[in-house]
Amino acid sequence: MTSDARHLTPDTREQSERELLTVNMGPQHPSTHGVLRLELQLDGEVVVHCRPVIGYLHTGIEKTFEAKTYVQGVVLTDRMDYLNPLGNNLAYALSIEKLIGCEIPERATVLRVLLAEFTRIASHLMFVGSMALDLGASSPFLYVWREREKILDFFERMSGVRMMTSFIRPGGLVSDVEPAIVADMSRFLDEMPAYIDSYEELLTANPIFRERTEGVGTLSADEALDLAVTGPILRASTIALDLRKSNPYCGYDSYAFEIPTGTVGDCYDRYLVRVAEMRESVKLCRQAIDRLPEGSVRTEDRKVMPPPREELAKSMEAVIHHFKLWTEGIKPPAGEAYVGVESPRGELGFFVVSDGTGRPVRVHERAPSFANLQALPKLTEGGAVADVVACIASLDPIMGEVDR
Amino acid sequence: MPADGIPTVRVPVAELAGTVERIRHELGHNRFVDLTAIDRLTREERFELVYLFYSMQHNTWLRLKSRTDSEAPSITPDIPGANWYEREVFDLFGVRFAGHPDLQRIMLPDDWQGHPLRRSEPLGSEPVDFTVTREAYGVGSQVAGLGEEHV
Repeated sequence: MTSDARHLTPDTREQSERELLTVNMGPQHPSTHGVLRLELQLDGEVVVHCRPVIGYLHTGIEKTFEAKTYVQGVVLTDRMDYLNPLGNNLAYALSIEKLIGCEIPERATVLRVLLAEFTRIASHLMFVGSMALDLGASSPFLYVWREREKILDFFERMSGVRMMTSFIRPGGLVSDVEPAIVADMSRFLDEMPAYIDSYEELLTANPIFRERTEGVGTLSADEALDLAVTGPILRASTIALDLRKSNPYCGYDSYAFEIPTGTVGDCYDRYLVRVAEMRESVKLCRQAIDRLPEGSVRTEDRKVMPPPREELAKSMEAVIHHFKLWTEGIKPPAGEAYVGVESPRGELGFFVVSDGTGRPVRVHERAPSFANLQALPKLTEGGAVADVVACIASLDPIMGEVDR
Repeated sequence: MPADGIPTVRVPVAELAGTVERIRHELGHNRFVDLTAIDRLTREERFELVYLFYSMQHNTWLRLKSRTDSEAPSITPDIPGANWYEREVFDLFGVRFAGHPDLQRIMLPDDWQGHPLRRSEPLGSEPVDFTVTREAYGVGSQVAGLGEEHV
């Protein structure tokens, strides 16, 4: 029995005299972050066995990819991890660009970093708010929502949509981000560190919050690696693996940032790692804005991105390219590609298989939440039933990408 | 070498377990990342299993491929993280993993018929219950519509 059950009076009866109670938690439970169902076997207040049951949100996205063109597929990626839509667009676009071997302009690359980091901040804000809410503190949720709304407003202004932006596409971005939006983003970044301080004031030293999270749901480094866990959960378990550093994409190797890690791998560490990551993301966004070059945000490769509208009136070739691209779509050469990126939840990768036609043979998403959720029995078994909620919240699973 | 530059190893399914052992312990690619399958629609060895491993020392990925008709050895006893991945491939492709501790459907309901990620399963169709098919096949029989959206 781990220290999670530290406040429980030990049951002195023999194992055979005790009666195990099977409790069904979810799929509709406010703390299960969507439609996660847990089959819990309880011995009094202690969780003896935990079995996550998933699939309630399975919509066959990977099957649907096979009937869509590569550009239509971008829309599906938003809906997997709906708190990290731009990061999912990015991972998908990078895989297809790898398959085609297409170069994208520098401005698009820098904007991709900027947008991916803004999405990470928004996602971690949601994590801080929902974790506090699950543990009974409702005011942090209102504060983080205020800042998250501002970020979503930027997304709305640049793409017209708050969440399902589909803004990053193979070959670059849908359109440029206007200087006025970048200027507002820059002002927001100036304010953000003070906001993060205010969340920390509410939670980090809060005795009730610490009592609910410290020593709860501890995951050792070896266990985390065996369970294929990635992202902030792996880093909280002391392993400093961040694909932005270890396998840089979008020029992340030229930015200065740290990888925050935990010391024991409990729920509190997972909270601290994510808060520290928000601060690093603010730094990354600032560097991206400072180095933002002028220029186009779309590749000149006409087989990937359509020609600008004004060219259609002047060039026959442009008309042909436009027609071919919108009737048949991008046709990557036959082959396959996997590119792993660091999403707010861990290693996110799209494995795309092409046969040279306009529709993919297979698109598979290596979803970080899917692997991370496998660790839940390890975190909860032996602990108190009330701590199950803290453990789910600290994993921050998104059922949209678990079930796909 | 594939477009993404990840080295790929192909082995017969009989040598899969030993190769995974060597990749993890001799080649140092100890972190299991991903497992999925591709339906190649061939008469023999139809399903291509695609494993992905990661080396924490060298920061590189390594891909392992193996073709099978319907069964493969499970790696879950050695790597607990592969548990749900093997269940997913079983559920959606129908490949059985021998030695898996809990090989049940994971995405779809337990009483589901068929394996939807197979290329032979049509997209977006439901069993048709027209009078003519009812006469031919009986009430409630499964008549799979092929098309309109078929690759």
